[in-house]
Order: sequence, then C-alpha cells, then structure tokens
Amino acid sequence: MGVRSRAAAAILSEAGFKKVYSMKGGINAWEGQVAEGVPEAGMAYFSSATQPEELLGLAWLLEDGSRKFYVEMASMLKDKEAVALFQELSKAEEKHQASLVNLYKELSGRPFDSEFPKNLFREEPSDERMEGGMHLREALQWAEKKAIKEILELSISLESNAYDLYLKMEHKMESLNAKKVFKVLSTEEKKHLERLASLLEKKL
Amino acid sequence: MGISDYFKPVSSWSAEEVRTFLNEKGPEKYNLVDVRQPKEYGQSHLPGAQLIPLGELANRVKELDPNKPTIAY
Repeated sequence: MGVRSRAAAAILSEAGFKKVYSMKGGINAWEGQVAEGVPEAGMAYFSSATQPEELLGLAWLLEDGSRKFYVEMASMLKDKEAVALFQELSKAEEKHQASLVNLYKELSGRPFDSEFPKNLFREEPSDERMEGGMHLREALQWAEKKAIKEILELSISLESNAYDLYLKMEHKMESLNAKKVFKVLSTEEKKHLERLASLLEKKL
Repeated sequence: MGISDYFKPVSSWSAEEVRTFLNEKGPEKYNLVDVRQPKEYGQSHLPGAQLIPLGELANRVKELDPNKPTIAY
C-alpha cells in the first residue's frame, strides 16, 4: 500500500505543487492496520536539469526497467488475463524503446553510438530503474510474495509516471517530430493505464 | 551523471501526522486526494477526500490548487 500515493506525489511535485505529502501505508494505515513496505518509489524527476538527449536516454532506460518487470510478471503470475496484459505491455515498451532510439538518432545529429544510452550515463548494472525511479531488483523481490492486486497497483504507478514524463517531454521538445513521437508515446501509456486500471477494478 | 542523480525523493507523512494536520486545519486549507480506483474509494475513504484515480491525475492537476499543501493517498 502507498505505492500509488508516492507516484501521485511525484506527479504533483513536478507540476509545481510546493508542499506534497504521500500518506505512508495508505488507507490501511489510516484505519489502524499495519502498513507494509513497498519498493522505494518515492522519487520524482529533477525536471530542470535535463537536456532533450538526456531525457531520451533516461526514458529508454526506464522503459527498459519497466519492460523487464513486465516480462517477469507475465511469467510469474497465473491469472490468464494478467499474463496476457503483461505480455502485451512488455512488447509495447520494446516498441517505445525503438521509437526513442530513432528519435535520438534524428535529434543528436551525430553518428549513432551503438552504446546508447549507456554513452550518456554512468550506470551501475545493479542500479536498473523503472519508471518513477523504482529499483527493478527491489520491485521484483517485493512482487514475489504479492497478490495480483498489488502488482497491478505497482504497474499503474509505473505507467502513471511514464505518462506524466511523456506529457512533459512533448511540451519540452522543440522539434515538431519529437512532439509527435511523445504524443504517440503518452497516448499509448494512457491506454496502458486504462487497461491496468480496469483489470484492477475487476480484481478488487 | 548516474541515473539516480535525476531523481529526488518525495515527502511522506504517517497516518498519524495526516490525522493531526486534518484536525488542525479547515478543509479550505489543503487538498486531500484519493488516487485509488473508484471502487476502493466507494468502500472507504478519508473524510472530505477528493477522488482522482492515479491514471487520471496528470490530466486533472488543474482541479487542485498548487499553493495549498496536498496530501495524496
């Protein structure tokens, strides 16, 4: 519990809200139940620092983390609907990664470095992150003992952060084509969100 | 730059801190947002909480006053 509230707090902080708090443990804690830990998801973007090329690389890495999470969930879960949705989501993230690579090639104006995006960041192999900044490794450990409802909540948090990021990138980018690419990506993330949310509603 | 340099933590309050805050302030002084699904909100929610499911939040930020302290759960 509380993973969605942290994703919400990240979105609101980035939207310029000065004082934002997520409630630890969510409604369960409010009602006096013991709150369970969730993977370190309390992260928001430094929206100011980033250049378009860095943003593309960052988005690629986060998509990669989310994709790996979805692949694991598709093989771990038993529920047929959930397995089908996670398989579909992992394929969609792969396509997003390809779109980001193409856009990077176009915008960087330099010969393509096949090390992309590792040429842009000093990344530790053990520090793989998903959308929203959550550590992939922690999320996978957490998910092992979790019911489908909680896994869907976490996935909704990932997609919400991705959606928010792409909306921002669409505004931030100057090239028309880049705007178009991010519009497509954000529209797709929004669809994913709707699918995850309706599956969650069904499983509640 | 490492990837973690792009992130900063968000603040969180315990349920008790939230309870104390809500008791002290009038509802016009804050935003209290429930970001769960409508069905969960229907089952139970904090008094006065406004429902904006997480997936809709990025589009509906304008419904909230950015100058007021905002609590999300």
